[in-house]
Amino acid sequence: MELVNNSQKLKQQHQQHFHVLVVDDSVIDRKLLERLLRDSSCKATFVDSGDKALKYLGLLGDNASSTSNSESLQQNGIKVNLIMTDYCMPGMSGYDLLKRIKGSSWKDVPVVIMSSENVPSRITMCLEGGAEEFLLKPLQQSDLKKLQPCFLKSFEQQSADRSVASHNDNDNERTALSPEHGFKLQFVSTIATTILRFWNSL
Amino acid sequence: MDTNHSRRQLAAMKQSLFDQGLLDEQFIQLEELQDDANPNFVEEIVTLHYRDSSRLISSIEQALKERNLDFNKLDTLMHQFKGSSSSIGAKKVKAECNLFREYCRAGNAEGCMRSFQQLKKEHAALRKKLEAYFQVSRV
Repeated sequence: MELVNNSQKLKQQHQQHFHVLVVDDSVIDRKLLERLLRDSSCKATFVDSGDKALKYLGLLGDNASSTSNSESLQQNGIKVNLIMTDYCMPGMSGYDLLKRIKGSSWKDVPVVIMSSENVPSRITMCLEGGAEEFLLKPLQQSDLKKLQPCFLKSFEQQSADRSVASHNDNDNERTALSPEHGFKLQFVSTIATTILRFWNSL
Repeated sequence: MDTNHSRRQLAAMKQSLFDQGLLDEQFIQLEELQDDANPNFVEEIVTLHYRDSSRLISSIEQALKERNLDFNKLDTLMHQFKGSSSSIGAKKVKAECNLFREYCRAGNAEGCMRSFQQLKKEHAALRKKLEAYFQVSRV
């Protein structure tokens, strides 16, 4: 039972640090998402265009400077765990934004595309372009449940990062990595992940 | 009890809106998102919608006054209007939006004008009914 409580706590803590960037030109859809994301207790930032999203990610400008901009943003702790973007927007479309993100240092961040139009060719194009998921508007609570794998993926990534970081933090002179520390973290992570998957499947 | 009476009145009003085909499932979804932390969520979203859609109606009206209609622009504006209406569950208004867009795609100016007039009527009628609904809900 204690392991379960710990994993719930871990999940909550993780989701409190989970940062979603929402890109949508519709004020109503932004408000709807704000309410839907409130239930996931994660932090959300809202912008109303692809250009503003790129600016936020430090990707605006010519290629050379934007790479270093976005990398330094990430090093300085600007963390984005998930990007949710509308497809149809004036100026840059959600698909264009997706391609820009996938061609940048933010390429590992899952991108979810939303659209009010159910066009199979559009959906295929977005998924093939690297989108994690394609959601139909208007969004509902059940759609947010579909995004649980994104939360989980980030959780696993964070656990992996933490175990690597703790190895790096340890004495640099030591050439052999201590297996015990790594095993413990891996063990807890696996158990926690399994429990989370179990709870999510209920 | 006054509260019970107004609650029943509210339920009857809502049922009527559904029976007349004016609202769909999305309205229920919005109600499910209303809770103690967001106690006026539905009214807030609906208010936002009417502010947004009024702006779009003006833009469409302007665009329809042009000598040579820009059907692409009209379609884009209507797409936004439809999305906004869809988000509050405005079923009939959404259907009118679809009709308008069909006329746009067919390049049918007269069809556009006609369906826009009808759309404005539906939009205004629903607005009135929802205002009455929220007035009762505040009792």
